[in-house]
Amino acid sequence: MSKIIGSKTPIDDSLAKATGEAIYTTDISLANMCYGKLILSTIAFGKVKSIDFSEALKVSGVIDVLTYKDFPDEKYNSALRFKGHGILKTETVISETVRFVGDRIGIIIAESLKIAEKALKLIKVEYEEYKPLIDEEEAAVSEIKLHEGINNKVGTIATGAEADIVSNLIEKADFIFEDKIKIPMVNHVSIETFSVIGDYRSKKVTVYASTQNSFAVRVLISDVFNMPLNKVRVIQPTLGGAFGGKLEVVTELVAAGASMKVGRPVKIILTRKESMIASRTRNGATIEVKSGVNKDGTILATDYRILINTGGYVGSGMNVIGAMSHKLLKMFKYPLRYTGSPVVTNTPIAGAMRGYGSPQAFLGMHIHLDKIAKSLGLDPVEMLMKNIYDNKEVDILTFGNPEIKACLNRGKELFDWETKKSEIKEFNKNNPGLLRGVGVGIGAHGSGVYPAHQDCVNLLLRLNEDGTFNYWSASHDMGNGSLTAQKIIMSEVLTTDVIDIESTQVNTETCPWNLGDYASRGVFVEGQGSYKLAAAMKDLILETSVLMFKVHKEALTIKDKKVWLDNKALGSFGEIAMYAQTTLQKELTVLIDHHSIAGRTSYGAHFAEVEVDKVTGGIKVIDYVAVHDSGTVINRYGIEGQLEGGIHMGIGYALSEKMTFDDKGNLLENNLKKYHVFKANEMPKIKVDFIETGDNGGPFGAKSISECATVPSAQTIINAVADAIGEHTTHIPISKEEVLNIINK
Amino acid sequence: MTECRLTINKKEYSVQVEEKWTLLYVLREVLGLTGTKEGCGTSDCGACKVLVDGKALNSCSLLALKMVGKDITTIEGLGSSDKPHPIQEAFVEAGAVQCGFCTPGMVISTKALLDENNDPTEEEIREGLSKNLCRCTGYVKIVDAVKLSVKKLKEMK
Repeated sequence: MSKIIGSKTPIDDSLAKATGEAIYTTDISLANMCYGKLILSTIAFGKVKSIDFSEALKVSGVIDVLTYKDFPDEKYNSALRFKGHGILKTETVISETVRFVGDRIGIIIAESLKIAEKALKLIKVEYEEYKPLIDEEEAAVSEIKLHEGINNKVGTIATGAEADIVSNLIEKADFIFEDKIKIPMVNHVSIETFSVIGDYRSKKVTVYASTQNSFAVRVLISDVFNMPLNKVRVIQPTLGGAFGGKLEVVTELVAAGASMKVGRPVKIILTRKESMIASRTRNGATIEVKSGVNKDGTILATDYRILINTGGYVGSGMNVIGAMSHKLLKMFKYPLRYTGSPVVTNTPIAGAMRGYGSPQAFLGMHIHLDKIAKSLGLDPVEMLMKNIYDNKEVDILTFGNPEIKACLNRGKELFDWETKKSEIKEFNKNNPGLLRGVGVGIGAHGSGVYPAHQDCVNLLLRLNEDGTFNYWSASHDMGNGSLTAQKIIMSEVLTTDVIDIESTQVNTETCPWNLGDYASRGVFVEGQGSYKLAAAMKDLILETSVLMFKVHKEALTIKDKKVWLDNKALGSFGEIAMYAQTTLQKELTVLIDHHSIAGRTSYGAHFAEVEVDKVTGGIKVIDYVAVHDSGTVINRYGIEGQLEGGIHMGIGYALSEKMTFDDKGNLLENNLKKYHVFKANEMPKIKVDFIETGDNGGPFGAKSISECATVPSAQTIINAVADAIGEHTTHIPISKEEVLNIINK
Repeated sequence: MTECRLTINKKEYSVQVEEKWTLLYVLREVLGLTGTKEGCGTSDCGACKVLVDGKALNSCSLLALKMVGKDITTIEGLGSSDKPHPIQEAFVEAGAVQCGFCTPGMVISTKALLDENNDPTEEEIREGLSKNLCRCTGYVKIVDAVKLSVKKLKEMK
């Protein structure tokens, strides 16, 4: 392989970001722009009886206050992915009935952000208040319905092995194990909060948004405001992190509608608290899992049931439930019956978040498995090995190449699992105030969205007169480096350097159509598209060379941005582009489409060592190893960075991060003091490695990393803590109080 | 509104500010110095860090009026794409930048740390960055970037 595939390449816009020159949505100002401040519901469930904004209107600089009466009442689903996507519509741009604290009930438009904030304090809202339903188990069986005509338990997906087969097998096993695990909602905490500018003029609307899903935003604006698609333009400036949180429409429709009303560009920037309550979260979950297991740790069958809390509106509830089932079935080889339902509750809307259900699914499953291993006195790695897929046992052409066993083996070796296990016994003997333990966690996630729905991308590449390239890809780089990976792939094919390929921002008017960036499709789908694009460009360069140099195409090669005949350089890419322009009177541009039907799965195995303070109950993660099967590594910096960040998110999931609510539906952890994201001095040393035997369907054998990175992490920590204190905790994230209770039993 | 004179990146600015306006608001909304980011507004994430008389402080919790007479340096004052500061170069070369929203604040904290301690241990680096949140990197490559900055700054001397 070349020097560039697998190299350590910094993300393409890192210098702009490190110097503060990169322009994020929040940094953009347009001429005559004004500011919008959302009026958010302060109750969790009820009806807005009246909004008195007379005092607010008196504030100098307040332009208008808009409520539900000023916006279309057309219902939509903010999780829409493409025109015609058949998902339940329960949301409106501005609500009259409110279903969570943070639901949008209006917007104040003012000359400045400060004036808008001042006016917000003068708004008086009267509500007719109902008792809210906070927990998914409670809401699932409640007589009170959040949405007319829709059950709180929105629907059920049952898949995998047949129910009677599973129950028979469980009954036949040596032992039956059952667990119930509750997982709270968590937040993405992208450091950039949500920003948007709506700019309506000349019967056309432009929306600048911190979004991962520009073309779907365009469809929703068109649907809700009844505008032709070619009069809606969505632009994605630099994204300051997203992690799935910016996949669904959050503020884009309000900004577009507000701009239509006031005839000026309207900018909305959500505060941190607003971003936490009024955007999206990761679904909380209640998992009930029952397995039949033989003495040697072989699982005969598992019955896995999950309810997820999808928040005040249906959103992507059914989609998450569907997505999470496939991942378990791609990991565990025994008969597994999966039954899942999303439940609407009076809490913030849940949506996509890194892993799209996989973190909850594997967290529940793997705590269960670890408890079984501990009960049977088995090594947890050995027990996993008995129950997961081996790449020698599957049809690689249809299933893909699951290298999870190789990940576990390599991880064990890097972590020094066997030695550590005996060392900690010694350590715990000699250190009466401390308890150390080790844990393992596994996880899987997809590469692309197929077969859930179509998965295609269209891409455009131009060769310039100086041999450089311009690339139009509606690939939303969120800082995950997908565009950089695509440039590396094209550079490999075209023998250029990454810097020779300049990409544009996503702009629905100038970029060819793409789905949004979700389902970890940036390398596997878009990257494979960029491979085909570069190959088509190479072909065009060679065909043009045939005309220019009067030679046979078959004899030509490219190297160092030149076309060669044997060992002789015939001409540079720039000269060939000039020839095309001046003699053939054409530009060398290629447009391709690529659709992925491979739907490959990525895998990861994590290992952690933790140290528990027996006096305080405090937990320190002191060592961490992660090995992933993401196929071939395209950008070592990119993949390592994604994995290290994913681990950080998973450690928080296990030890500190949660969104919990009082009985009135108020979020308790509503700022970054109370919602604890791990800091540099709290993180362990992390070692990462990759199994690179590769898979088929993606570029150079590559699969995905970004979502899979976080899937195995939380259970690794939770299992390590259980190893240290001798018993599994029941609360997620682990609380010091529970740790102390277990230690002091 | 009160008129005040602020010294930012070695330049004098005369600005009209209200009593409660923060330095961050003045930088971003009045002066258009948008390199400094707002991540929380509650002094918890460090995205808005600037140097005030050499110390890395959260500009979201500093009142602009109290900044008169102070020497303020923002990310724009450290370097540019054409002439980056060695710390900015190190962040790029170490692969420490992902979404980049925390990066200006991280670079500012690194500058303050290395001005005070030109050869920090890894523990001191992690402590020095402990007021800055990053959601992308797990801090691994950011710590690498600070180590690389140390090397670059030493080579310059």
